[in-house]
Amino acid sequence: MNVLEIHSLEKRFGDKRVLCGLDMIVPEGSVFGFVGRNGAGKTTTMKSVLGLLRPDGGEIFVAGEAVKFGQTPTNRHIGYLPDVPEFYAFMTPREYLQLCGECMNMEEKEIRSRSEELLELVGLGSENHRIKGFSRGMKQRLGVAQALLGSPKLLICDEPTSALDPIGRREILDVLISVRERTTVLFSTHVLSDVESICTDVALLEGGRIAMQGAVSELKRAGRREEFRAEMLVADSAEELLEAFPDAVREGRVTVAFSGGEERIFEVLSFIGANKLPLRKIERAETSLESLFAEVIK
Amino acid sequence: MRVFLAFFKKELLESARSGKFLILGILFFAFGVMNPAIAKLTPWMMEMLAEELAASGMTVGEVAVDALTSWTQFFKNIPMALIAFVFLYSSSFTKEYESGTLVLMLTRGLARRNVVLAKAAVMELVWSAGYFLCFGVTYGYNAYYWDNSIAVELMPAVMNWWLFGVFTVALLILFSTLSRNSGGVLLGTGGCVLVSYLVSMIPKAAKYLPTALMNSAQLLTGVEKADEYTAAVIITAAASVICIALAVPILDKKQI
Repeated sequence: MNVLEIHSLEKRFGDKRVLCGLDMIVPEGSVFGFVGRNGAGKTTTMKSVLGLLRPDGGEIFVAGEAVKFGQTPTNRHIGYLPDVPEFYAFMTPREYLQLCGECMNMEEKEIRSRSEELLELVGLGSENHRIKGFSRGMKQRLGVAQALLGSPKLLICDEPTSALDPIGRREILDVLISVRERTTVLFSTHVLSDVESICTDVALLEGGRIAMQGAVSELKRAGRREEFRAEMLVADSAEELLEAFPDAVREGRVTVAFSGGEERIFEVLSFIGANKLPLRKIERAETSLESLFAEVIK
Repeated sequence: MRVFLAFFKKELLESARSGKFLILGILFFAFGVMNPAIAKLTPWMMEMLAEELAASGMTVGEVAVDALTSWTQFFKNIPMALIAFVFLYSSSFTKEYESGTLVLMLTRGLARRNVVLAKAAVMELVWSAGYFLCFGVTYGYNAYYWDNSIAVELMPAVMNWWLFGVFTVALLILFSTLSRNSGGVLLGTGGCVLVSYLVSMIPKAAKYLPTALMNSAQLLTGVEKADEYTAAVIITAAASVICIALAVPILDKKQI
């Protein structure tokens, strides 16, 4: 089943068209990376899913239910973490989660046990100070805790790592990984390494549409090109290689790029061996999301 | 109901911890003390000025003060307390729009009408508590120094002004749902009161307008009768309810 389906979503701000017919499907159990440059419309999409913005066209379904603007009952399925979450600074984390729980009409006992469990999970278990003095990382982690309080089917995070230092970012990614067994995670980002390290699926938002979407592993497989590079120790041997293999391309002073598969690698290796050319390394070209996306955006 | 109460508790906690209760408590108490104090000091001040005035040819006779003097001060000072109250609570909604705290609560399934109703309940409650604190203090001093029974129809006058405050708070809530910043809220609320005040210059309209209630001090001396205010009271009460009733669908349609 699909936790989230978006069909031809459109949104204009004034005469600026931010989304023009966006289609996206988030399968249950996935960690879904929603990628796009700054201002591409990621936040607009997410706010429309949450019923905070009124779309100019299209439909959104959360767990099979249509999303309505304003009064939005579908939000009971969703936990939301904004990019820079702001809480009532005069409260302690426990008081805040208590308030959230009561707003969701959770059982008193459940609120208490779930709060403890989540504060422990995000590393704020022993924090009894008011939120006022919290660092960004701490707020972000409290944000994850409040988003997960109601055991939502879908956790939506808007650039959860973009404002954090490397340690804070790692902590958030770890928390997201740890919840994915029970909750589908949709998070937006412009940091591709975050997507590669934790996502199962990814969609690229470009020009108000989804330019590419699918499972990370499949996209990478489909995009893989038969390529490898040989890096020599000296420029002379690179030139020898180029003479012997006229279709190879020189990349830099000592590096030569070849196209071709297994057979070709052995062919090049035996030439290097036969002529005793000093080799630093030989490696297959990895398809990174970056190169895939760069191609699509181009 | 539980959700309403949860948000209501949050509002009370916010007012308590942000120091609003303390500030308003001190303010309303101070005004309460000031009214009889000014009345009490008037003869003394007049005496001090008597010599100077005599030099310019004016003679000051015996100045008699009583509870009425103090109650007149009460109705002169309470608008300032109301203005302070409006300023303190003008950012109650807008701060939440700007900082994004409300977005998180709404995505937690908090129905928007509960936001309006809980905030309205707390503000009206705080206004009432402050107002009657001020009233109580003045009443106590007046009873001690003089005699409150001299003020005819004191209670109708006091209730009329309280209702005017309730109406102002309802305006504050309505404009909080319409405007994104506290400047707009203050402008809207102040503007409405001003318009009501200007329209009341037309003699025929005057007694139907909420601002008529601000003249309730006239009741104390018996110049006017309480039932002359009936129309203004009904209209103001109805307008207050309408303001809050309008605020609910307006916030429902707001893009946050």
